[in-house]
Amino acid sequence: MTLLTPRVDRKVPAAPAPDGDVAPRRRGRLHAHRVISSTLVTALVIMQVYPLVWLFMTSLRTEQDFASSNPFSLPTEFTLDNFSRAFSTGNLGLNIVNSLVVTLGANVLIVVLGMMGAYALEVLGFRLKTFVRSMFLLGIIVPVQIALVPLFIDYANIGLLDTYQSMIIPLAAFSLPMSIYLFSSFYSYISRETYEAASMDGAGPYRVFGQITLPLSVNTIVTVVLVNSIFIWNDFIFANTFVLSDELKTIPLGLQNYIGAMGNVDWTATFAAVCVTITPLMLVFLVLNKAMIYGLESGANKG
Amino acid sequence: MGAPPPPDRPRQSVKEAKMLPGRSKISVLVFLVPPLAVYAFAVLLPIVQSLFLSLFKWDGITDMKFVGLDNYVKMFTRDDVFWTSFGNAMGYLAICLVLQLGGALLVAGLLTTLRRGRELVKTLYLLPAVISTVAIAFLFQRIYSYEPTGLLNQVLEWVGLGSLAQPWLSNVDTVLAAVSVPEGWRFAGLYMLIVYAALLAVPKDLEEAATLDRANWWQIFWRIKFPYIRPVWITTTIMAATYALRGFDIPYLLTNGGPGQASELLTTYMYKTAFTHTDYGYASAISVFIVVECLVAVGLIYFLLRRKVD
Repeated sequence: MTLLTPRVDRKVPAAPAPDGDVAPRRRGRLHAHRVISSTLVTALVIMQVYPLVWLFMTSLRTEQDFASSNPFSLPTEFTLDNFSRAFSTGNLGLNIVNSLVVTLGANVLIVVLGMMGAYALEVLGFRLKTFVRSMFLLGIIVPVQIALVPLFIDYANIGLLDTYQSMIIPLAAFSLPMSIYLFSSFYSYISRETYEAASMDGAGPYRVFGQITLPLSVNTIVTVVLVNSIFIWNDFIFANTFVLSDELKTIPLGLQNYIGAMGNVDWTATFAAVCVTITPLMLVFLVLNKAMIYGLESGANKG
Repeated sequence: MGAPPPPDRPRQSVKEAKMLPGRSKISVLVFLVPPLAVYAFAVLLPIVQSLFLSLFKWDGITDMKFVGLDNYVKMFTRDDVFWTSFGNAMGYLAICLVLQLGGALLVAGLLTTLRRGRELVKTLYLLPAVISTVAIAFLFQRIYSYEPTGLLNQVLEWVGLGSLAQPWLSNVDTVLAAVSVPEGWRFAGLYMLIVYAALLAVPKDLEEAATLDRANWWQIFWRIKFPYIRPVWITTTIMAATYALRGFDIPYLLTNGGPGQASELLTTYMYKTAFTHTDYGYASAISVFIVVECLVAVGLIYFLLRRKVD
């Protein structure tokens, strides 16, 4: 930070030559700037969000209305028929249950294992911890595709193909580095004195973990769960590779089935099916958006 | 989220102080082994297995046949599809980086000038990031649709560019861009958020001093703000690049690499090699290449962005 100050002193005088009374013109320009940037931001936000608006609007149209009108007009009449057709044709209810199981299972693993790993690395400490930490950091960069073929073969050998675990394990393992990283960076702020005082009172590493570290971790747990749930809930590649039977299919796979079967037959019902699958996470996000945004920001900005 | 931890607390430098007094070897193992075991099983072991498998020819049924480096030789010298996929992956990467990082910087920069509605913009902009790739693929298939007219072709018609309207996903010249844009769109909000948080952390007095010296906005941005957010920018670039290099879902779902190989990426090619042609050895060689590619990309980004500091 201090390094930057001389840079500023050096470069800024190279600014354009002053010309006359700058103050009023600058104020006018500032105002113009603000109007331009508000307009631009609004336009960009509309471009970013319009596809989703269109998705929801189409799911509420009747088929005749969809076929005859252009994609920017409001529906002439609203109908919920598409949703009832989507639910009666597909397996969406079961898919949602499966997604909940996988998301819950993976999150429990990520949180418990993440806290344990971070506790060992950051609080307990041991000789090879730099090496172990860099092993974990590698997992942030390594693409998930590397695991597909080996895990498929391993699962086939030990009979784990086509189970909930076959999705939960790799989803948890690939999220673990970020989780350990977030817990570690939080644990490094808990003061050493707290731990030392507890140790003086005779608390061993397990009691310190249970009575000091764990209760203080609640906020970080929320962050880790929120951030990872997005990726786990939406996982397509592991589910698509390791799961075959319809009873275990999660939302992305169920939706893909639905689109494959009905996508070109019943357009508006397919839009409704898509809406049903994206709504749960979107609602969670809209309700908890502050916490989620905080989590996503801290993932990168602490690095 | 409660009070954020205090920044810049000096870490204790004495090595022994970093270890909890009264800890035993066993307690370290109790805490370390479970996470390490899961991680080793699903991440580290597969890397080793892929390296091993890449030296064999194996269809999963008959006996494995050791072929040495032949899979790699084939990949680099005899396989045109591999090189096409590599070229496509680079194009995909370029489009994603421009959309995500360029977009992130533009929107984050504009956002800092807004007086109201910042939270709303952040939330709305991030919305696509919570949607599954299957839903996104479906959505964009409809947006690109030619018959019946999709969103994109409709807009082109309205602004008088109706002659450009076309089936974007079946034209070999447009398909790569068409499958890259959804990926860029999806995470644009995430990177915007990160860059925005970094921009907010730039001390106001630096900017004010520069304004008094009549620096224009470009100079303020380039000379003051950007150097300040450089560390975050490196992280963001690395995230965006590695995510784009492992991009799979959207091209796989939208076009499955077609038409021909026009939108085939290394990831989709590897997936087909493994699970359609059950050529596990060759697929492993390709996935080893993808990992190396990611590591090289991270190294390059770090090196290039870091060096400019001097």
